[in-house]
Amino acid sequence: MEYIAKILIMAVSSIFINNFVLSRFLGLCPYLGVSKKLDSAFGMGMAVIFVMAIASAFTWLINAYLLIPTGLEYLQTIAFILTIAALVQFVEMFIQKSAPALYKSLGVYLPLITTNCAVLGVAVININDHLNFLDSILNGFFGGVGFTLVLLMMAGIRERLEKAEVPKSMQGMPIALIIAGCMALAFLGFAGLKLG
Amino acid sequence: MSSFKELSKGIFKENPTFVLVLGMCPTLAVTSSLQNAIGMGLAATFVLAFSNILISLLKDLIPSKIRIPGYIVVIASFVSIIDMAMAAYLPDLHKSLGIFIPLIVVNCIILGRAEAFACKNGVFASLMDGVGMGLGFTLSLSVVAIIREILGTGKIWEIAILPQAYINEPMLVAILAPGAFITLGLLMALINIIKDKNKAVKE
Amino acid sequence: MKVYLHYALVLLIITALACGILAMVNQQTKPIIDRNLQEEENNAREQVISSAKTFEKQELKNGKVYYIAKDEKGKEIGYTFISCGRGYSSDVQIMVGIDTNFKIEKIIIIQQSETPGLGANCIKPEFSEKYTNLEYKDLTVDKDGGNIKSITGATITTRTVTNAIKKDVYDLENELVGITFKQEVKDELI
Repeated sequence: MEYIAKILIMAVSSIFINNFVLSRFLGLCPYLGVSKKLDSAFGMGMAVIFVMAIASAFTWLINAYLLIPTGLEYLQTIAFILTIAALVQFVEMFIQKSAPALYKSLGVYLPLITTNCAVLGVAVININDHLNFLDSILNGFFGGVGFTLVLLMMAGIRERLEKAEVPKSMQGMPIALIIAGCMALAFLGFAGLKLG
Repeated sequence: MSSFKELSKGIFKENPTFVLVLGMCPTLAVTSSLQNAIGMGLAATFVLAFSNILISLLKDLIPSKIRIPGYIVVIASFVSIIDMAMAAYLPDLHKSLGIFIPLIVVNCIILGRAEAFACKNGVFASLMDGVGMGLGFTLSLSVVAIIREILGTGKIWEIAILPQAYINEPMLVAILAPGAFITLGLLMALINIIKDKNKAVKE
Repeated sequence: MKVYLHYALVLLIITALACGILAMVNQQTKPIIDRNLQEEENNAREQVISSAKTFEKQELKNGKVYYIAKDEKGKEIGYTFISCGRGYSSDVQIMVGIDTNFKIEKIIIIQQSETPGLGANCIKPEFSEKYTNLEYKDLTVDKDGGNIKSITGATITTRTVTNAIKKDVYDLENELVGITFKQEVKDELI
């Protein structure tokens, strides 16, 4: 029971309070780039959740059992980014072979994920915050869920925005950033949430 | 002349933040103070310049199929070097930039320049391109940071700009997350207006 | 097949070179980084108990490291230790100095990356001054019914700092002189 409560607290804090996009500023490129259509946003979001969770697991293991025992912590950045790049490759190949339908909908987003800073970000945050193995995976998973949530909200707003009359100079990126700002303002309200 | 062009295009015509819209994460995250913005900008400039040089040197040695992983290793190495150097010689700045230093690796500007410029051009041109892009990035970070820091704290680089009454109760939201998005959005709109005006004048 | 071997070899060489260079840079910078950290800690320690001349490292039964501060005659004048807690968006570390009556002399926030303008205000002297002369039983945030006024918009940070110090001061006092019959406080800490 206590463990379930802990998971819930982690979920709320990484989805709402420390949202990767709106309060940690991670993963903004896809957030502003891919969020024009709802279905592509959904595909991207699912791919990110998946990769963030397994990348958290692998980078944690590499750090704990390879880098720390050998005293090679200074290779952290290089090791993590290579792990993530390789992981994304493998996931891509695996999905392509085993679930072609899924590959069709996720495939195009997978290569983009290597350079999504939310993935490398969550790996580094897990290590900096001294999370244990399970917590790291949960942090990665819920971080991805938080990313997907705001990505979907943004895509929904932008689909509607296409029909709105936006001043010429505000079209495109400026209005997207202002919307993001309003969303961040709303999410700031979660800051006062008392947990536990 | 041409190398000067490579240098200056990154600063204005192809400014990575405002025109190419690359590297948004650090642009929004570290611009809560001018000090952080300049630190981040210069760190990225260092990585850009050196990775551009090395990639342009190695462009014939790395087979094109594995160029991306190769570039990533090169970039990650320079990022680690600057990470360690900052931790040793500028510990305070290193602390306040936090995880955004290792995240320079995935800054799209750097991989983007390697792909779009350094792997096709000579060493000197690549160096100029890297420095130009880096300075353009630093400049745009600084502009955003100056606005946010003045509005959010009433000070710039610890020097009071606005009256004490404002400093006591500043517009905090400017240095919080929403302020970052809104400031950048308004700045981009302003740049669009200026561009349109210039176009209209030319026609 | 041969092509793949070639690819693997190229990547291997690049990575090996990169690791070699990084190892060299690390060798250069590691001692400086460690020294910086050590110096920073020593500075903070000297600041929290400014009259102390020497510090002696000690350990509590639970493994917590603390330092006994002594004046020039070698007399014990207080204790310092680092308290840690999970803040709103970062780990917060506080250097705490207490006198021999277990009253706080001074605290310094030595590490935090809380929200700028809100939680990050905990580094301001106005905040740390609030803790001077308090005992562990005074350490409760106003939102939890105590007397320590929270930083505007940053109750979580304030609570983290307060509770982290409270727990450590309690542990120290309990082990060194023993706290009797204060079960209700203990319950609150657990």
